[in-house]
Amino acid sequence: MGRYLYSIANGNTKLSFGHIGLEESLVYSIPYKDIMAIVHLCSPKPYETDDEDKAKSWVLEHSYVIDRATNEFGTVLPFSFDVIIKGDDLTVKNWIQENYIRIKKELENVENKAEYSIQIFYDHDTFGKKIVEVNKELEDLKEKINSMPQGTAYLYQRKYELSSKKLILEEIDLLSQEFSSIIMQYVGDMKIDKKVSWVPERYKDKELMMAFACLVHHEKIDALGDALEEINNREGFAVRFTGPWAPFSFARLQEV
Amino acid sequence: MGPLQFRSASGGLNIKPQRENGVVELLDKILDKGVILNADLIISVAGIPLIGVALKAAIASIETMLNYGMMEAWDKSTREWYTKASANKKEIALKEEEQVLFRTFGSLWYSQGQISTWKPGFWYLTNERFILWRKSPPETLFEVQLKNLEDITTCMEPHFAGERENIYLQFDEGQMARIHTLKTDELKEALEKATEKSIESRAVHDSKIQDGRLEC
Repeated sequence: MGRYLYSIANGNTKLSFGHIGLEESLVYSIPYKDIMAIVHLCSPKPYETDDEDKAKSWVLEHSYVIDRATNEFGTVLPFSFDVIIKGDDLTVKNWIQENYIRIKKELENVENKAEYSIQIFYDHDTFGKKIVEVNKELEDLKEKINSMPQGTAYLYQRKYELSSKKLILEEIDLLSQEFSSIIMQYVGDMKIDKKVSWVPERYKDKELMMAFACLVHHEKIDALGDALEEINNREGFAVRFTGPWAPFSFARLQEV
Repeated sequence: MGPLQFRSASGGLNIKPQRENGVVELLDKILDKGVILNADLIISVAGIPLIGVALKAAIASIETMLNYGMMEAWDKSTREWYTKASANKKEIALKEEEQVLFRTFGSLWYSQGQISTWKPGFWYLTNERFILWRKSPPETLFEVQLKNLEDITTCMEPHFAGERENIYLQFDEGQMARIHTLKTDELKEALEKATEKSIESRAVHDSKIQDGRLEC
């Protein structure tokens, strides 16, 4: 026998959430002291499939159960997909008991907060043009190239391109630091998102400059939105702001 | 229009966060992140290889499970991929004339302030040292010279999956370490042979190691 784990929430009642889990499983809570695990009963083997639609619906169902628990009990500690504990309700309870202090501390850390993803893109052409225009050295070089014989001009053109690329990257680096410190004023915790698998079509022609997952207090969301809007309004930049998500990037039970 | 919508709920304008493409967005979070159990009990942290999701973030835990022999149900191709990916990993550095006498998967109790947990890795018993080695990321988590080992005892202790036997090492004038392996009996025998010490079994319950010292 096994228990599929969705999340750990604040609360101490034995509850049934109905058949809202994977494959319409009955989702219920296993309380210990003032916290509880949200689970369904399953056989002790992972959910696997070759059917993409099925896999997608599992992922959505997993997320739905986490969202329901969040709505009812406040921010939860979400489990990764397909985490199954071998044993019964008592095994789960014992696991919570053994790790109670750590779990409790993590729950307090995410209380009244949610995870948001922030991605900042820049438009290479727009931004690049602006940077190069104000650089005297490059401007002079450009003028010289225009009056050069073709062979020499080609070499200098290369030099011009490399210099402007370097200049743009340096500027982007500086701006990344500036944006990070702006965002940091509004967030409790911040992690670099190493993987961004998908971005909407409208960002496809832009370069991803930075991607973060942030843990943000509910009261700071509006202010963060204002700050991001200011960045978004700068010429050549676009901000993508998604959430609220359960704190997937900040549930650190597995780490020391 | 996406995330660039403006609202005036709080009086001012701001960008409102949104969830856009449900599944794809969720995959990065749900498959790579979230709580992963690093306990003896876990039987799966399966990804969905079909969707092309690499499981880098979960590798440490997968390794734990592979080592515990808990991955029977794991998708075959993923297992092969993992074995290949982990084949090139660094092995433990031995001195010249140092030989590995015994090797087994296990863990070391780590307790520092509020943090207390079992750190998993491979226990290596050589003719000179007793070492806990973590493969990924490679690190020596614990090391003691056999000649500095003062006392070795074992004791049955309550564990959330029932009871289990742990080994206590005393070394370097009073420092303690509490360890667990799946092959306690074999390790005991090998340790006795290598150190020429006899190992006693005790029935200490609720003993705790705090900052390297044993509290009973």
